[in-house]
Amino acid sequence: MKKRSTLLVLLFSGMICQASFAQTTPAHALKNVTLHSADGSVTQFATIVWRDGVIEAVGNNATIPFDAFVIDGGDSLHVYPGFIDGYATWGSPELPKDLKPLDEPGNPPYDRAGIQPERKPSELLDTDKAFEAGMKAGFTTAALGLKGFMLPGGVEVFYLSPENTRDGLFKETIGLAGSFREAPGGWGNGAYPSTMMGVMAKFRQVMFEATALQEHMNYYRENTEMPAPDRDQVLEAMFPLVNKSAPFYFEVDSKEDIERLFMLQDQFGFNTVIVSGKEAYAKSDELKRRNIPVLASIDFTEMPKWYAKTKKDEDSEKEEDSDEEEKSEKEEVVTDEEQAYRDRQIKAWKDEVTNIKKLIDAGVNVGYSSSGMDLKDLTKKLEILLDEGGLTEKDVVELMTTRTAQIIGVDRSFGNVTKGKNASFTVFDKPMSEKKAKVLQSISNGVIHEF
Amino acid sequence: MKKLYTFIFACFLMIGMNPAEAQITGKPEFGKFAIMDATIHTVTNGVIEGGIILIENDKITFVGQNVKIADGFTIIDASGKHVYPGFIDSWTSLGLVEVSAVAVTVDDAELGQFNPHMSAATAFNPHSAAIPVTRVSGVTTVLSKPRSGSISGKAAVMDLWGYSPDSMAVKKNAALVMSLPVSTKRGPWDSRDEDKIKEEYEKAIKELDDFLDKARFYNEMMNAFSANSNGKKQPDYDPRMEAMREVVTGEIPVIVQVSNEKEILNAIEWTKVQEDMRFVFAGVSEGWRVAEELAEAGIPVLVGTLQTPSRQYDNYQRPYQNPGIMAAAGVKVAIGTGDTENVRNAPFHAGYAATYGMGTEEALKAITINAAEIFGVDDKIGSLEAGKLANLFISDGDPFEPLSQIEHVFIKGKKIPMASRHTQLYEEFLDRDAVNK
Amino acid sequence: MKKLSLILLLVVFGFQAYAQEKGSVLIQNATVITVTGDDLENTDVLIRDGIIREIGQNLNALRGVETIDASGKFVLPGIIDAHSHLNGVDINEGRNPVTAEVTMEESVNPNSVGIYRALGGGVTSIHLMHGSANVIGGQGETLKLRYGTNQEQMRFEGAARTIKFALGENPTRVHGQGNGVQPRTRMGVEQVVRNHFDEAIDYKRNREAYLQRKGEYDRRKRGVPPVPVAQNLRYDVLNDIIEGNILVHCHSYRADEILMLMEVFKDYGIKNYTFQHANEAFKVAPELAKNGAGTSVFADWWAYKFEVYYSTAFNASILNANGVTNSINSDSGELIRHLNHEAAKTVRYGMTSENDALRMITINPAKQLGIDDKVGSIEVGKQADLAIWSGHPLSIYSIAEMTFVDGHKYFDRENDADDMRISVNAGTDFDDTSNFEEIISGRSDDACMQDTFTLTEANHQH
Repeated sequence: MKKRSTLLVLLFSGMICQASFAQTTPAHALKNVTLHSADGSVTQFATIVWRDGVIEAVGNNATIPFDAFVIDGGDSLHVYPGFIDGYATWGSPELPKDLKPLDEPGNPPYDRAGIQPERKPSELLDTDKAFEAGMKAGFTTAALGLKGFMLPGGVEVFYLSPENTRDGLFKETIGLAGSFREAPGGWGNGAYPSTMMGVMAKFRQVMFEATALQEHMNYYRENTEMPAPDRDQVLEAMFPLVNKSAPFYFEVDSKEDIERLFMLQDQFGFNTVIVSGKEAYAKSDELKRRNIPVLASIDFTEMPKWYAKTKKDEDSEKEEDSDEEEKSEKEEVVTDEEQAYRDRQIKAWKDEVTNIKKLIDAGVNVGYSSSGMDLKDLTKKLEILLDEGGLTEKDVVELMTTRTAQIIGVDRSFGNVTKGKNASFTVFDKPMSEKKAKVLQSISNGVIHEF
Repeated sequence: MKKLYTFIFACFLMIGMNPAEAQITGKPEFGKFAIMDATIHTVTNGVIEGGIILIENDKITFVGQNVKIADGFTIIDASGKHVYPGFIDSWTSLGLVEVSAVAVTVDDAELGQFNPHMSAATAFNPHSAAIPVTRVSGVTTVLSKPRSGSISGKAAVMDLWGYSPDSMAVKKNAALVMSLPVSTKRGPWDSRDEDKIKEEYEKAIKELDDFLDKARFYNEMMNAFSANSNGKKQPDYDPRMEAMREVVTGEIPVIVQVSNEKEILNAIEWTKVQEDMRFVFAGVSEGWRVAEELAEAGIPVLVGTLQTPSRQYDNYQRPYQNPGIMAAAGVKVAIGTGDTENVRNAPFHAGYAATYGMGTEEALKAITINAAEIFGVDDKIGSLEAGKLANLFISDGDPFEPLSQIEHVFIKGKKIPMASRHTQLYEEFLDRDAVNK
Repeated sequence: MKKLSLILLLVVFGFQAYAQEKGSVLIQNATVITVTGDDLENTDVLIRDGIIREIGQNLNALRGVETIDASGKFVLPGIIDAHSHLNGVDINEGRNPVTAEVTMEESVNPNSVGIYRALGGGVTSIHLMHGSANVIGGQGETLKLRYGTNQEQMRFEGAARTIKFALGENPTRVHGQGNGVQPRTRMGVEQVVRNHFDEAIDYKRNREAYLQRKGEYDRRKRGVPPVPVAQNLRYDVLNDIIEGNILVHCHSYRADEILMLMEVFKDYGIKNYTFQHANEAFKVAPELAKNGAGTSVFADWWAYKFEVYYSTAFNASILNANGVTNSINSDSGELIRHLNHEAAKTVRYGMTSENDALRMITINPAKQLGIDDKVGSIEVGKQADLAIWSGHPLSIYSIAEMTFVDGHKYFDRENDADDMRISVNAGTDFDDTSNFEEIISGRSDDACMQDTFTLTEANHQH
């Protein structure tokens, strides 16, 4: 049943945009919609015209060309710039399972050490339900990385498509991904490096070896009388980091781990973008000083149950003041000790959910990344961001569009629905921050996907 | 292959550890002793200054100030010294475990869930190298206990001198040791969800309750048969059930290992429905949180102090304060280190309890008479009284102080050589290359 | 009034991060145990900006400097633990027999509540060590217990660089028995050390030759360029050991392996090393003294594994009597809270003098960590790391009441809150037992040991 409806959608969307595959390419126009911009401005009764994936005209007075296939929003639809995920691992092959014990765990092959910088999403992406789910949540564009360990591979930007994102490469290797994750295999079948300090040391050693190989290759180009270098695609993939020519998309959360990343940056001088960064607020001054952007995760710790309950009680109290007695009966007894504990617990939680707000206020460049979050939690987490995180709808839209686009270096093409930008935007049935707002259509690189 | 190596390794170890060389400390003196002019800490009858203790064979025959010393007594001048009853560590693996990392020397954990018929006294090694090391510090008696499964077996109260478990036992089957199923996560690594935990907990509790019900039935059936066997078919003998008879009737107590608040409260509730049975709790690291409840339930506890707090947000002193808080609430507290080769630290556990709220007098009881009472051996040990076994030691100061020296130790009237592997190595190596004259 | 509000502030914000502070305070009328000199009765200690400025009677505080009346109390230098894994993120990079390149400097958890508990026992510095899984483990980091600062600010500036070695059962079990790679025996342990030193020396020669040729080639761009020899962190550190820039702290137990390593070090010209645990060091005390080797031992741990079965609690006293610089360490989050008491045991076991007993937890470990010019005694000009005790610190009835690092009070028994955590996990409710700590009691195993056990047998981390 599900399959058939997907098929129907496919047929339907194919019909609409069949023109884009033809030689002369008619335009598309979406008219009579409420257009929300990243800067918070709203244009009513707007029209958007695009052709070959590029927006030709936007606004109240946009002219609809004769060859445009026109969709009428009927004055009730809301269009947002396509959200951009600054770092997602959608479509990534899964982590290896059932690893065999190694003969020499202290000297493992690169992949068993978690060192795979040569891998590229554009070569390895699989189909993944996450793509459709992401688009249903308003995303049209994403920087994708691969699941892995200390050096999982390159990061590349894709136009999203439910069926085939792999072929939707927009920009290749915008950086290398990294993390402090130790080699896979756990205690039984693991390998060096198996600790934080081991990962730090091993990373340095890889950098030294890549430096030496690059020098060897350079020398050899100058003089072939010397022994030829042993080519090594893994070390060669590290050259952009050695040469500081591509940023390190480093997945890191705790304050202490961010400080460790600083140590590596001080030594090697690479540019870096922090991915996830749940405690980044604790280092905001330093992040600003170093000009390190943060692609922040909103995969917050679940709201403490007792706090959720208090909030619910407060809400219902507002609604009905009558049942005072009944309520006081149910009230649980909390000892002073537990109350003191709760005060600190909720402070810690609020610190976490206001991370992005605090970073923005401190002048740190912040974008958004799902970074492993399950998309089914997105709505819930966004609600927390709006209710408790100190952000407005405008802030959230800006975070997930222009701010993210700028950090991953695609702001010339994405982030806003304006003339000349890529036609990547999303049609909601109501403002996205309203409860039960639903995505009806997602336009990614000009291609319409119906949901 | 790996297993084979381990086995070979283990065999080598066994050859290496010839038990005959484990305990060579010389013979004790035995007979009649008069300890003169001592400060006597009787525990049960206060402190006697300038006191005399007479020991004849295995017993104390006099404690007081004025007595005529007959001929034949070896006089020990204890002026300026202190005499204490032998200390008791109520929670140890001494004698059952020689080297904890070497599995073949570990005899406190039998396989199986319900092992009431296992008896610690059986595997108690009188020649463990740790025994002399322990007794010269004034700890003369320990509870040595099994630890595995749901019902682990019976713990024994053992004196630390002798050549056989029988000659060392103050009480062979002093208590049954068990653990209750845990209704909470066992640690950060425990990935079970709440439903699963609850399900497993309830299942385990039911198994335990069924076992106890069966034991009660068996006991009644056997009683009925022995009361009048006329015309009855003799029931089959069941060693497990037989071992449970003295437990279900409350003749010996059951020691339940518990640690955190919720476990302790669960355990208290559970013990309430076990009619006729007597209970003691061991471990009890969060006893201070539920001291009133423990006191109300009348359950004595076996605790140590030298451990870290159980929760990150607890005040750093809680483990030190734990015995004192419970004692103040009216719980009977005995010191149990849970240790094996360092049971000699039991006086220091008591010392920390004393310092952090319990007071020296109460702490002294916790390491002597309270333990004796809990295990029903207070007619024999636990205080300096005429008629009790001569388990005592003479020190040059407060035995809770590490700076004090323990000078003489008597166990069952035997004046123990103050030697152990540790002192012997000291004597040999202090001036290693000196010419032996 | 000012004081009251300060206390209130401390109670409310007691858990909040302090910057690394250098405090000023006047402690009055205490019995000052200087350790390196005589005990001084009714004496004041004036601390300004983290440094002990004056020791004497009737000293005047500068305006605004807090004054503490310590009548009837004792001041002891901050206790230094020469062997700790108290707040390591990870302890053992246990996948290779040699991991000289890793460093505990990068494995510091500044938020561990264990730090506060150690302060509560009058401890001010620890030697945070790598575990004992590897023959040559990672580098150590000496920390000041500036609880509430960050990993960088906890470092003890100017402390010697150190590294962990390990002999005997642990490396042979983890690597030989566990992974089937050498060493499986004490024979293998020696060769692992020698082979790696030799490789490091070769590497250094080749690397230097390459760098020289590279310099020439890059300058003149003539001739055949050199084949690059990549920098190698592991060998760099090994060469630093050989050249005396890093002090070795070697986990060891048996007398024969202690002798073995001293012979190896003699061959490579390595001096200034300390044997950690060294339960059988007493058997070779004359040799240790002759080589100027130090020892850092447990007060009384023994028999928890086979290689410590033939040992004695009199170890420290024998070593001390033979002129070996010895310290008493904890290697434990529990024992570190009462190292004063552990030191006192050396008096019971072998009649070490009280002053020597206190040296074993203050100036002696300071020497072994290369910080004895800065801490370890109460002397004018030294850093003000010290604690005020309710009585003589070797008595079991004495309690540490305040602990200062750099003259800044990091522990105050009277005024601190119960909950002194720095980091709070938002996802853990009050009575969620999944966050309860494993209760560490007196002896279960040494921390190094536990680590290696779990490497081969169990699943959780330490």
